[in-house]
Amino acid sequence: MLPRIATLLAGLSLTGLAQAAATLYPLTVDNCGAPQTFAQAPERAVTIGQAGTEMLYALGLGDKLVGSSLWFNNVLPEFQALNAKVPRLADNEPSFEAVVGKRPQLVAVQFEWMVGAQGAVATREQFSELNIATYLLPSDCEGKDNLVGADGTRLQAFQVDSIYKSISQLAEIFDVQDRGTALNADLKGRLDSAKKQLAGKDLSNTSALFWFSSADLGIDPYVAGRQGVADFMLRTLGVRNVVESTEEWPTVGWETLAKANPTWLIIARMDRRRYPADDYRKKLEFLRHDPVTKQMDAVRNNRIIILDADAMQAGIRLFRGLQTLSAAFASGEAAP
Amino acid sequence: MMKALPYSALALLALLAAVLAGTAIGETNLPPQVVYQVLANHLWQAGYPVDPIDAGIVWNYRLTRALVAAACGAGLATCGVILQALLRNPLAEPYLLGLSAGASTGAVLVGLLGLGSVALSMSGGAFIGALAAFLLVLVLARAAGPSNNHAQVILAGIAGSQLFTALTALLITKSATAEQARGILFWLLGNLSGVRWPSVWQALPVALFGLAVCLWHRRALDAFTFGADSAASLGIAVRRTQLLLISCAALVTAVMVSIVGAIGFVGLVIPHALRLLLGPSHSRLLPASALGGALFLIAADVLSRTLIGGQVIPVGVVTALIGAPVFALILVSRRGRP
Repeated sequence: MLPRIATLLAGLSLTGLAQAAATLYPLTVDNCGAPQTFAQAPERAVTIGQAGTEMLYALGLGDKLVGSSLWFNNVLPEFQALNAKVPRLADNEPSFEAVVGKRPQLVAVQFEWMVGAQGAVATREQFSELNIATYLLPSDCEGKDNLVGADGTRLQAFQVDSIYKSISQLAEIFDVQDRGTALNADLKGRLDSAKKQLAGKDLSNTSALFWFSSADLGIDPYVAGRQGVADFMLRTLGVRNVVESTEEWPTVGWETLAKANPTWLIIARMDRRRYPADDYRKKLEFLRHDPVTKQMDAVRNNRIIILDADAMQAGIRLFRGLQTLSAAFASGEAAP
Repeated sequence: MMKALPYSALALLALLAAVLAGTAIGETNLPPQVVYQVLANHLWQAGYPVDPIDAGIVWNYRLTRALVAAACGAGLATCGVILQALLRNPLAEPYLLGLSAGASTGAVLVGLLGLGSVALSMSGGAFIGALAAFLLVLVLARAAGPSNNHAQVILAGIAGSQLFTALTALLITKSATAEQARGILFWLLGNLSGVRWPSVWQALPVALFGLAVCLWHRRALDAFTFGADSAASLGIAVRRTQLLLISCAALVTAVMVSIVGAIGFVGLVIPHALRLLLGPSHSRLLPASALGGALFLIAADVLSRTLIGGQVIPVGVVTALIGAPVFALILVSRRGRP
């Protein structure tokens, strides 16, 4: 993607269209209810959460990153070389001291349960006492109460604008606003092309189910509820989510899911191997051999889409995920 | 024996009715005639045309669930009877021997170390953990003193339980994220949703085997109620019988825990309630407890699936919600007795 953005940038700056103003410091950004002030563009940043890490890479800010943490999958291939130079503080949540020890001027955080009122790493106050700014991706705090439910509870449906907002705000903080504009244009383009691919197709009777994983194969699986990122993907493409719970990732019994009999099954692919069902091949095997799920329309007609787990989170990968889904919905068949 | 016949018939009828109810009631609404047609198709090839998903739900999900619930309830209640008699302690139940704590540690270890991909499921881990905890408790009890002192076993069980509970907590805080801890909690509180026919073929024989062994030793159990010394004076090989029966209880519990997770209170409440109703004779108490446990757990499972629409409450929560008040009632009603 980087080269693409670079050419995009070059083209745009030639025409002068996206020649955004340079950031004026000191800059104050209101972020999840806690205003953060920057005297200058941060020179040293630490990320907690893969979505923020990849966002900074996509903004061409890899050289400002002095530590990353909380990984779900391998980094996107195009950022592999960049990522190899950045120390990985932890695979999961880093300790407070590991973050502070990097002397960051900014900590970019994907989830409020990492840094927030009940943060596993620290509260935002603990960082601000040390004059370290924190930036929470708005997708995890706007319209969401993270003190209720294990993964938080969305009070309103997820808005894709929160991703555009985090990109333009990060771009403003780092004084690379034209790169932010270009990245957002690229992502919006992907979203539009995904929608366009399905234009004129009648999907009013099409439904789908996102299966993330299960604590043990056979028991009630974790599936995407209403209002979360996965549900947004379906809504955007005009497909109905068969799960009606408003929790982010509720557990729902196979009896209910089989009776709902969705047109499409979307199963998550991830590198994590905590439960057997983390492996998408185990999921496929279960679907094809369980006496009930093997009778589901989606399984009988092989309408099973394998999607990267990261594409179901609020980050730049979401847009590629949308394109994967729309390609499958458009052809009526799952890509191999 | 002639008097027992109508009771046995009644008991079997009650069990059949409960299994049928468990099969007819579930997360989704299936008309009773569909349930009947599915059962008829499988049992006597009636050949009704039924939607294959409905058929699968009734035959492979609900019926297996009801059967495993019955087997687990019966097995756990039987274990409760054994332990309460052998240890002469009204608070004795299967999990007292550290079994559920050990099972939790085993399951959590499998979950957290990512052993999940190496052919060992959480239930496999639970089984190994439960047996390991039980062995530890036995060794500890033995090292602590002579075997006819039942207090040693209880104290060793408490020590073992605490140790394994602490280990589980340590593992969860050290390496689990919030999402992981939720998955583990889901499992620990007991869950019958992963049950299919293979689980039935594990749970049923083990429950029947446990019940048979205990019925075989019912006179010894009666004697143990009055203490190991009086059992010895009646010519019972105290040490051997104790070890056999406790091992039997441990095995049954470990198998049940590995299939459905730690479901509490069945082993504690059911034997007490039935002892109050039927008296202490084990020839009646044992089959009655097994039946009571089976009915109780089927009912609890049906409630767990239907109490909140579209959502399943862990069955362990339901059994404890019913079990705790019942247990309190028993305590109050025993007031003034020795």
